[in-house]
Amino acid sequence: MKLLTHNLLTSHVRGVGPRGFPLRLQATEVRINPVEFNPEFVARMIPKVEWAALLEAADTLHLVEVPKGPTEGYERDEQFLRKMHHVLLEVDVLEGTLQCPESGRLFPISRGIPNMLLNDEETET
Amino acid sequence: MHSKSAYVEGKIFKELQKLINDDPGSWLNAISLWKSLLELDAKNEKLSQESSPPLKRKVEENEIIVAKKLKTEQMQELQENRECQLEKQTGEETLEQEDFITKREDFQEEEFQNDVEKAIVGHNQKDLTFRVSCRCSGAVGKTFTAQEVGRIIGIALMKQFGWKADLRNPNLEIFIHLNDIYSVVGIPVFRVPLANRAYIQTAGLRSTIAWAMASLAEIQAGALVLDPMCGLGTILLEAAKEWPDVYYVGADVSDSQLLGAHDNLKAAGLKDKIELLKASVIELPLPSESVDIIISDIPFGKKFKLEKDIKSILQEMERVLRVDGAIVLLLSEDHHRCLQDCEESGIPLNSKSSHIDEPGMKKCLNPEGENGISETASSSFQASNQEGLDRTSPFGSLVPVECYKVSLGKTDAFISKYRKSHSSGL
Repeated sequence: MKLLTHNLLTSHVRGVGPRGFPLRLQATEVRINPVEFNPEFVARMIPKVEWAALLEAADTLHLVEVPKGPTEGYERDEQFLRKMHHVLLEVDVLEGTLQCPESGRLFPISRGIPNMLLNDEETET
Repeated sequence: MHSKSAYVEGKIFKELQKLINDDPGSWLNAISLWKSLLELDAKNEKLSQESSPPLKRKVEENEIIVAKKLKTEQMQELQENRECQLEKQTGEETLEQEDFITKREDFQEEEFQNDVEKAIVGHNQKDLTFRVSCRCSGAVGKTFTAQEVGRIIGIALMKQFGWKADLRNPNLEIFIHLNDIYSVVGIPVFRVPLANRAYIQTAGLRSTIAWAMASLAEIQAGALVLDPMCGLGTILLEAAKEWPDVYYVGADVSDSQLLGAHDNLKAAGLKDKIELLKASVIELPLPSESVDIIISDIPFGKKFKLEKDIKSILQEMERVLRVDGAIVLLLSEDHHRCLQDCEESGIPLNSKSSHIDEPGMKKCLNPEGENGISETASSSFQASNQEGLDRTSPFGSLVPVECYKVSLGKTDAFISKYRKSHSSGL
């Protein structure tokens, strides 16, 4: 699971609503994968990033050199884009958990795939 | 009775012969085009690297097709796929269109065949071996069997060009497909089905359909594309190969499917482009309005309790989709019918829309080639039905844009596209 994905995932436990984000990350196995750098692609992702969630996750994983937010003219700032590329796309959580901040429910990550399925009692519908 | 059928037989016989004898030049043009495409293919094989899109896309140039011109590229692709695979699979992605009117004597080359007007008669054509494969139904099929038609054509070809017939391993294969709606004569360039993919370990949905769906979705660079029932990941694989600068997410409830998808991604070298989640389509762990495009193959089969399930699926898809985002779905005939009924029942009786939704409905059954028509129909549909739709139908803000019937071999299906017109407030 990449941090770009973590940045999107929310908990749907019943009653939690918008407080199901962001999920608290715990990782037992992380891998760094080199991924081809595409500056235009990264630049397009920047406006979609939830920064607080990203910084929290990056902190948990002890990542360094993580930008705190978009800089002025970030689209042309290669250094900035490279750092974001690394944080968002090259860090892969293989094993760990995601925790719903409101309900405490744990979602396991296994082989890089987070399991977000809820039981019948937990679902909203 | 007897003399009438003999008359009809004789007439058809003559027509078939005229196919070859009236205009041998265009046959020879086609052959030389076919030869040059094979050379091109062989050259590209040597040069090509791993990730360059294979020549499956170049199919446009390879056939003499006797049909009226089609407007959108997807339809062309689907039609060409059909021609190419006549021998191997039955009823490949055919499109039911009234546009398939044909004149058998009229060999018109497609608009995208560029410059093949040179009649290379002096080509080394005498050493060509060939085989004719034929399929007949409808009126022609009642008079002659496929083998008989094949033989008539074959003999005429031998007489005209001096080619030798070889049923086992010919150089040149000629397909003839005759029915009441169209007549097609074609020469396949590729010897394997178009849907074959080197990069797929375990195939799910036929790749050509997956590609067609992805191209309908209008994927832009930097988009977030979701397949909430991704299965083995076929749709995402096709999309990621063709539109790489995009963030793809696939979700499924089944461990075994996700494992298969994982293997497929790895084999295709696309592990970096496609993320997988274990999640349910009716409970997506994503914020509202966070996804740009949704493409999905809605599972067919009786285990899906039609109306309730498809409604909750669409509702959740609508929730996570951005305003103006697109959804492209592959629906079984039953699902499609069910959704059409929902559309109809969602229209309040007092609205003036009843005459407007006609073109919208018809669009699904007889898709027009013009995008202009579909847009007007759906926007007028939308304008007059907004309130009614929000309250009564499961569609909410999803507006049907276009839909195409396709053949999956044994069954038919519909590729349906929707757009989210406004925020649904969910």
